[in-house]
Amino acid sequence: MLIFAASDKGGTGRSVTSANLAYHRALAGDDVCYLDFDFGSPTAAAVFDVADARQATEDRGLHAYLTGEVSEPARIDVWSETEHQVLRYPPPGCGRLVLMPGDVSGGEFATSDDNLRRCVDLLMTLYYEFDLVVVDLSAGRSYAVDMALEATAQPEMRDVTARWLVFHRWTRQHVAAAASLVFGKRGIVAGGADRGHDEAALRNSIRFVRAAVPDPESPLWSQVSPTQSAWMRKADGDLKQLASTHGIGYSQVLGSVPLEPVLQWREQLITDEDVLDSQIANEATWEALRQLSVRLTDDKYWEEA
Amino acid sequence: MTAAPGQPARSVLACGEVRTCLLPSVQALDARAAAQLLRLRADEHVRVSERPSMYALSPEILTGVDCRLPASNGTKVRGVGTVAARAVLTEGRLLQSTAYFSLPATGPDMRRPWGQYLVRPGLVEPFGKLPQQATADGVLRGAGRGELDLGMISEGLLAQLRRHALLDRRVPFKSSPTRLRWVARRVPAGERASLANFTVAEGGLRTMELRLPEGIPAASAAGLCEDLALHDWLLTTVQHMLDNNRIGAIDGPSVVEALHPVVVHLLHLWMPRAHVDPALSHLWDVLEDKPGFSRQWENLSRRIRDRLALQAVAMPHQALSTS
Repeated sequence: MLIFAASDKGGTGRSVTSANLAYHRALAGDDVCYLDFDFGSPTAAAVFDVADARQATEDRGLHAYLTGEVSEPARIDVWSETEHQVLRYPPPGCGRLVLMPGDVSGGEFATSDDNLRRCVDLLMTLYYEFDLVVVDLSAGRSYAVDMALEATAQPEMRDVTARWLVFHRWTRQHVAAAASLVFGKRGIVAGGADRGHDEAALRNSIRFVRAAVPDPESPLWSQVSPTQSAWMRKADGDLKQLASTHGIGYSQVLGSVPLEPVLQWREQLITDEDVLDSQIANEATWEALRQLSVRLTDDKYWEEA
Repeated sequence: MTAAPGQPARSVLACGEVRTCLLPSVQALDARAAAQLLRLRADEHVRVSERPSMYALSPEILTGVDCRLPASNGTKVRGVGTVAARAVLTEGRLLQSTAYFSLPATGPDMRRPWGQYLVRPGLVEPFGKLPQQATADGVLRGAGRGELDLGMISEGLLAQLRRHALLDRRVPFKSSPTRLRWVARRVPAGERASLANFTVAEGGLRTMELRLPEGIPAASAAGLCEDLALHDWLLTTVQHMLDNNRIGAIDGPSVVEALHPVVVHLLHLWMPRAHVDPALSHLWDVLEDKPGFSRQWENLSRRIRDRLALQAVAMPHQALSTS
C-alpha cells in the first residue's frame, strides 16, 4: 500500500508524524519504506537520526533519481545506520525500515514525462517490495503533490492501493487551509480528477490527521484559570464545528495526535523507551500514533462515508 | 588490440551484474507466455527448455557505451564498446536480468568506427592499458557517477520487462530484489574454473569473483551467476519471511495464510545447476560445502512443512472440542 502524506502549510507535523507511523508499522512486522519527497527541505534524516548516512548519500537521493542523474536513489537502512540509542536495537521479528532521502540541494521541479516515468517505476518497484510505502510530500499544492497525483493516475498503477493523509494543526487557519488543499478549486481532488482519477474514489482515499491537538482536559492545562479553561473548551467546540462545515469533520478524520511537548522541541521518533523508561513523552501520544498506524490499513476507516 | 574485425579479441576480464526479482504477476507464466515476454529482439528466438525445470532465456541486446570504466583507485580509463544484456525467467516465476561485458588487456588509443565495435558484441575496449585490479574492484564496489554502470543497464532491462502488457502487475507476496555483481579473471585454457570469493552484503547486494579459463564464453559465467543469484534470492526471501514476527509469534490459521505463498510459489524452484554450463557446474560444490546452500534450503523447507503440519494436527482437535 502507498500512503501519501500531504499538508497545506509547513510546521503541521506532517513529516514527524508520518515518520512515526512508518516506525510503528515496522515494529509491528511490516517492511516499510519512507520516501522524502519534501524537496527543498528534507527533514526525514533528522527524524530517523541518520545524519551521517545521509551525508554519505548526498547527491544520490530521490531528487537526483527523478531528474535522471543517478539510476537508483540511495537507500538508508534505518535500523543499522541510525545514531539513535534505542532504534539501533530493534526488537527481533520487526520488519525492515528503509529511508530514501531527498537531496539537500534539490529544489522543486516541474513534472516532465521522463521524471514521471521514473517516479512510476520507483513506486511500482517499492510496491512490489514493501508492505507499506510512505511518501512525505512538500507542503501545499507543490510539484511533489502534482507528481504523486499524476503518477497514481497512470494506467499501470490502477490496481495499486494509494491513500492520502492530510495533516493539519488544530487552529482555525489550519482547518480552513487543509480543507482548501483537498476540496478547493485547485485542490487535490480537482487536480486528481483533471489527471484522470475517479473523483469519488480519490475523495474517499483521503483522510485527515489532526496534529498537535491540545486537549482541554489534559494535565498540561491544570494550572490555568477557570476563565481560560472555559475559553479553551469553547474554542475547541467551535473548531469542531468549523471542521465539520468545511467537510473535514469526524468521519473524514483518521485520528488525532495530542500536543506532545517532546515534539514541540524536537522532531523525533517517539519510542517506547521515551514513554516507559525516561517518561519524557506522554503515553497518550504513543498510543495515538500506534492507533493511527493500525488504521492506515484497516478498511473499516476507509469505507465510504 | 589489433585483432581484425570479426576476430574475437582476447579478453582478460569479464564482469557483470545480475538482478533477481519476483515476476509481478499473480499467475506464473507458462512457456508460451514466457517466450513472448522475453522476446527482446524480433530477429532471434527465445530459448525455452522445460526439463528439468522451465527456463526461458532471452536473446541478447546490446548497449553501446563510451565512458569511464569503474575503478576503485580513481584511475580514469575510457572504455568504448558494447555491453550485452539478457533476461531469464525460471519456472515462469522468477525474473532475472544480467548486463555483462568482457575487457581485453589493452586497446587502441583512439576511437574506431562503430561498426568495428558492433562486430564484437559484449566487448568493451579500454583506451590504452587496462588497470585490471582496479577495474575489477571498481565493478564489485559499484559504479560512481559517470562510470560504466552495469546496474543501470540490468535494472533498465528489468524495469522494461516488468512494464510488459502480459503482466497484471500484482505480486502474490512482497519480496526484495537482489543484485549480484561478479568479475571473472581469465586463466589459461586447460586450467579449471574456480570460485575465489562469494560475499553477502547488506541491502541485497552480493559479490562474486571467479577464475575462468579461456575458451569458456563469458555468457556461461553469466549463466552460472544467474543460477547462484536465483538460489541465493530464494534463501534470502524465505529466511526473511520466517524471521518476521508475523510468522514467528503467531499461531492459528494466519500461519497457513502467511506461509501459503512460499509453498505455492517458491518451494519447487530449488534446482541448483539445472541450466549451468557443465564446465562450470562444479563451482556449485564449493558453495554446497560451505556455507551449504542446499542444506540451508532443506532446513527452511522442513521448518515450513513442520509449521504447517503442526497447524494441521491442531485443527481436527479444535473441531472436536467445539462440537
